[in-house]
Amino acid sequence: MTGAAEHTRGRPLRLIVALVALGLLTVMAVAGPALYHVDPISMDLSIAGGGPSAAHLLGTDESGRDVLARLLAGARVSLTVGMLAMCLAVGIGTVIGTVAGFGGGWVDAVLMRITDAALAVPVLFVVILVLTFMGSSVFTLVAAIGATSWMGAARVVRGELRVLREEPFVEAARALGTPRIAIMVRHLLPHLVPPVLVAASVGVPSAILMESALSFLGLGVQPPAASWGNMLSGAQTYLTSYPWLALYPGLLILLTVFAVNALGDALRAAADPHLLTRRPGGVG
Amino acid sequence: MCMSLSLLLGCTRAPAGGDDTLRLPLINDPIFNPVIAPDIGSVMVNKVLFPGLVRPDEQLRPVPDLAVSWQAAADGMSWTFVLRPNVTWHDGAPFSARDVKFTFDQILDLASGSRLRSDFSAVDGVDIVDSLTVRFRLKAPFAPLLPLLGYNAGILPEHILKGRKLTDAVAFNRTTPVGTGPFRIERVVPGASVTLVRNASYFGAAPGVARMVFKVVPDINAQVAQLRAGELDLITIEPANLGSVEGVAGVRVLQVPVVQHWYVGFNASTPMFSSPIVRRALGFAVNRQAIAAGVLKGYADLPGGTIPVALRDFYDSAAAPVPYAPDSARRLLASAGWNPGPDGTLKNAKGEPFAFELLVDKGNPTREQSALAVQQDLGKIGVRATIRTMEFAALVRDRVLPATYAAVLIWWTTPPDPDQYAFYVTGQDNNHVKWSNRTADSLLSLGRATQDPIQRRAIYTAFQRLERDDPPVLVLFYPREIQAASTRLEGIPALGIRDALRHSERFRFARQDTIR
Amino acid sequence: MIRFLLRRLGHGLFVLFVVSTVTFAIMSAAPGGPSLLADPKLSVAERAAIESRLGIDQPVTVQYTRWLGRAVRGDLGASFLYQTSSLSTIGSRLPQTLLLAGTALLLTIGIGIPLGMSAAARPGSRLDRIVTSSSGIALAVPAFWLGMILILVFAVWARLLPAGGAVTEGVSLGLLDRLRHLILPALVLAAAGCAEVVRYTRSAALTTLALPFVQALRARGISPARVLWRHGLRHALVSVVSVIGLQLPRLVGGAAITETVFSWPGMGRLGVEAALGRDYPLVMAVTLVVSAGVVVASIMADLAQMLLDPRIRTA
Repeated sequence: MTGAAEHTRGRPLRLIVALVALGLLTVMAVAGPALYHVDPISMDLSIAGGGPSAAHLLGTDESGRDVLARLLAGARVSLTVGMLAMCLAVGIGTVIGTVAGFGGGWVDAVLMRITDAALAVPVLFVVILVLTFMGSSVFTLVAAIGATSWMGAARVVRGELRVLREEPFVEAARALGTPRIAIMVRHLLPHLVPPVLVAASVGVPSAILMESALSFLGLGVQPPAASWGNMLSGAQTYLTSYPWLALYPGLLILLTVFAVNALGDALRAAADPHLLTRRPGGVG
Repeated sequence: MCMSLSLLLGCTRAPAGGDDTLRLPLINDPIFNPVIAPDIGSVMVNKVLFPGLVRPDEQLRPVPDLAVSWQAAADGMSWTFVLRPNVTWHDGAPFSARDVKFTFDQILDLASGSRLRSDFSAVDGVDIVDSLTVRFRLKAPFAPLLPLLGYNAGILPEHILKGRKLTDAVAFNRTTPVGTGPFRIERVVPGASVTLVRNASYFGAAPGVARMVFKVVPDINAQVAQLRAGELDLITIEPANLGSVEGVAGVRVLQVPVVQHWYVGFNASTPMFSSPIVRRALGFAVNRQAIAAGVLKGYADLPGGTIPVALRDFYDSAAAPVPYAPDSARRLLASAGWNPGPDGTLKNAKGEPFAFELLVDKGNPTREQSALAVQQDLGKIGVRATIRTMEFAALVRDRVLPATYAAVLIWWTTPPDPDQYAFYVTGQDNNHVKWSNRTADSLLSLGRATQDPIQRRAIYTAFQRLERDDPPVLVLFYPREIQAASTRLEGIPALGIRDALRHSERFRFARQDTIR
Repeated sequence: MIRFLLRRLGHGLFVLFVVSTVTFAIMSAAPGGPSLLADPKLSVAERAAIESRLGIDQPVTVQYTRWLGRAVRGDLGASFLYQTSSLSTIGSRLPQTLLLAGTALLLTIGIGIPLGMSAAARPGSRLDRIVTSSSGIALAVPAFWLGMILILVFAVWARLLPAGGAVTEGVSLGLLDRLRHLILPALVLAAAGCAEVVRYTRSAALTTLALPFVQALRARGISPARVLWRHGLRHALVSVVSVIGLQLPRLVGGAAITETVFSWPGMGRLGVEAALGRDYPLVMAVTLVVSAGVVVASIMADLAQMLLDPRIRTA
C-alpha cells in the first residue's frame, strides 16, 4: 500500500498539467478555427515562409499558408484521428476480449490465435496496404489504425474477465440462475472500465504517432488538408530554411502524447497497480 | 572510454579513397539491363554500364558512341550504322554487329520482357551487314530513330544473354552485368549500393574518377543531408529543397532544361472539355509566371506548346509564352456558353456548374503546389476544381489509362526529339487526353517521317502554332532539372542527370593539394 | 515442456496462415496493381505481356492457391521489382536488420532496465523525475523527426557521424566504420522502446517493493538497495520480458521509418518499398518472415518468463 502511495507522489501536479494541456488542446481543436478566421488551405506563394505578422500570427509555411490556422485545423484532424482510432480499437478489442474471455473454450482459442496473428504482423505494412487500397482520409486512417491496434485491449479485457469469472460473486450470481447477459452487464462490465480506460490512454498517442509516421511515407492525411503529422513531415524539407515549421507541430504532438500518457498513468495508478504489469505495447 | 569515443567520432570528413570516388544516389535497387528496366534507378546505372549506338551531346544532338557513323537510305526505309572497331565487353569478349542485332531482336520481342518496344515500333528488324556494320530496316521512315538510339537503348552482350528470356538472367541483371561503358561492375550490396570501377579498356577518353558508387537513398531529404555531410557528390533536387543547399559551403547548384512538359490534361472526350475554346480559355486563366516563380523558384521555363525549350532546334522561339489573361479567359468561356451565376461560379445553358475533379499524384510537393495554384487561379474566373490526390500507380492505372478522369496534373518525359505522335495523335495508346485534331495528326505523322532538319522544324513550328488555337493540354511549364553538386566535382555535362551519365567518363574531382 | 512447445508451434503455423490469407486478400483488392504497370507510356500490348508474365492476369483465388501451393514447399516466388527470389532478397537484407534491431534491443534493455530501477530506487527524487519525464518525451517524439534532427546535428553540422548507410560505400574501413554508421539509427530505433521499458521496469519494481514479502525482508534489516536489485529486478524482469517480446514487431517491421531516414539497407524498408510498389510476392514473403520471427520470439519470451517466474513454471 505504501508503495503505491509512494509512487503516485508528485503525480497530482503532472496530472493537473496534463489535464490543463488536454483541455487547451481540445478547445483549440473545437473552437480554434471559429476564433481565428484564416483559411488554412489557401496559399499565397508571394509570402511563403514569412515570419509572424499581424495577418499571420505564427507566420506562413512554404506555400504561404497561415501556420496557426493550419495548426488549429490540424489539431482537429490529429485529435480526431487519435480519439476515433482509439475508440475503434478499444471497441473491437473489448468485443473480442469479452467474447473470448466469457465464451472460453474453442471460441477463446480461435480468437486468441487471431489476436496473436494480428500482433505478429508488422502493423506498418498492413496499414500501408489498407491505405493504398482505400486511399488516405481521416476516415480510412481511423479504420486502418483502429483495425490494427485493438489487440492490447482484447488481451487485457480477456485476462480481466478470466480472473473475474472465478470470483465468488460471479459464482454466486450464476448459482442463483442469473442469465449470462445479466451477469455480464451487471457484474462484469463495471470491472472492465478501468483496464479499458487504460488501454484507451495508450491508443490515442499511438494513433497520433502512427498518423505522423504514415505522413512521413506520404500516406497520412493528404495535403492541402492539415494534420500535425503531415505538417511535421512536410517541414523536414525546410529544416534549415524555415525551422519553425517543424517546431510547432512537433511540440503539439509531443504535448498531446505526453499529456495523454500522464493521464493514462494516473488512471492506471488509480485503477489498480497490478495493471501496470499488463499494459500492452504501443506503436512507434 | 574517452579514447574509444574519440576514436569513434574522430575519423571524420572525406574517408579514404573518397577523393577519387564519385558518389550518386539511387532511389531503388537497379536491374542491370536497359531493355527490361524502365525505373529511374536502373536507368541511371545502365546509362553508365551500357552505351548505345549514339549518345546526346550538350545540345541534345546525337553524336557517335558505339557507332562511329551512320547513313539513312534515300527513301528513309533503312539506316546503316558503322560500328566502332576494337571495342571489348567488360569481360574481354569483342563487341560486334551480332550484339546490336541481338539487342534489337530482344527489344522488339515483348516476350523477352522488353520495355522498349514502343520506342522502336517503327523498326522492322536489324540485319548484320558485316561484323562491324548493321542495317536497321524500318516499316516507315522514322526520324526519331537516332535520338531514341541514344536514349535508353543500351547494347547488351549476345555472348552472355543468348538463349533465354532477359528477365530470367538473374545473375546478370542483379550482380554481374557486362557492358562496354567507361565503368564496370565491382560490387553490389542489395539495398545499399552499387560500386563501379574504371574500365581500363574503355574505348573513349579515360574516365576521370576511379570509382562510381551509387548509394540507395530513397528519401530526398536524406539525400540532401548526405550531400551536405559530404557523403554524396551530385544529386538532383526539387525546388522545395533549394533552401537546404543554397549558400551551403562546399555545395553548388546547377540547372539544366530537360525534355519534359508538365501539364494539366483535360479529358477531351468529356463534354465539358471537348471544345478547343474552353481549353484555350483555361490556358489563359492560369498564372504560369506565378507558378514558375513561386512553386519552382524560377527553375522553369514558361511554355508555348507541348514541345519544350530544351529542344532548341524545334522549340518555336518566335512566339511568346501563353499569357496570363483572365479577362480573355472569361470572354472565351462566355462565348462557349459558360456564364457566371449569382455565386460567381460559371454555369452553362442547362444551369450545370463548371466544376470538376483535378487529379494529382501524392507525395510530390511541386505537383501538389502547382495543382493548388491552378485550382485557385481557375476559382478566380468561376471554374471550380476539386483536387484529389492519389497514389501514382493507382492514378495511372485506374484513371489515366482508361481515361476515366476529368482533369489530371501530370507530365511527360520524352526522348530528345520533338516527335509526340504517341501522345497527341488521334487514338494512340498514350493519348490519354483523347485529343483529336486531324491537322495535328497529319503534321505529327509527317514530322516523324521527315528527315530533313529544316523541313522538320517547319512542321513542328506549324504544330506549335496549331496548339495555340487548339491546345491538347494546358502546359504549365518546362521544368529545369536542379542539380546540387559538391564544389569539388568538375566536368559535369550540362545535361539532365540521365543524359549526363552517358558521359560519365567526364566527371572528375578538383585536385585537393591546395585546399587542405 | 515439449508439449507446450509443440502446441505453441501449432498455434504459430495457424497464425501464419491467417496472416498470409489476410495480407493476400488486402493486397489483391488494392487498386493500382504492381508499380511495374504504373507507366503511362505502356502500350496495351506491353501491359498484357507484363501481366501474363507476372501471373496477375489470373483470378485472385487462382493466384492465391498457386502461391500457397508453392509456399508450402518453401518457395515464396520471385519479387516483381527485383526479379530475384523473395527469400534471397530478404536474406540479403536480414543481417542488416538483425544488426540494427539487435543493437537497438541491447540499448533498450541495457539503458531501460538500469534507468527504470534507479528511478524506482528513490521514487520522487530528482533522478526519478528526470528519467520519468525524459522517457515521456522519448515516447512522444515521432521517429522520423528524431532521426532528421540527429542527422542534422551530428552529421551535417558537427560532421561527427555519417548521415546514412550501413558502411562507407566503395571502400572497406572495417568494424569502426560499421559502428559509426550504427550509432544514430540504433539510438532512434531504441528511443521509444527504451522509454517504455524504463516505465515498465520502474512501476514493476515499485509494485514489487510494495509486496508483503519485500516488506518482510526490509523488516529483517536487509538494505533497501539490495532488496531492490535482488528481488525487485527479478520480478520486474518477468513483466519486462513480455514487453520486450511485444516490441519485436516494432523493431523489425517498424524499423522501416528509421531505415528510410538513415538509408539503412534493412528489411523494414524493403517491406515498405514492396508494399508501396505492390510487389505481391515480396510483400507476402516479408510479412511471413517477420510474423514467423515474432511468433518464434514470443515463444521464447514465454520460455524466458517460465524460467524467471517459478509460479508460471509450476502452473
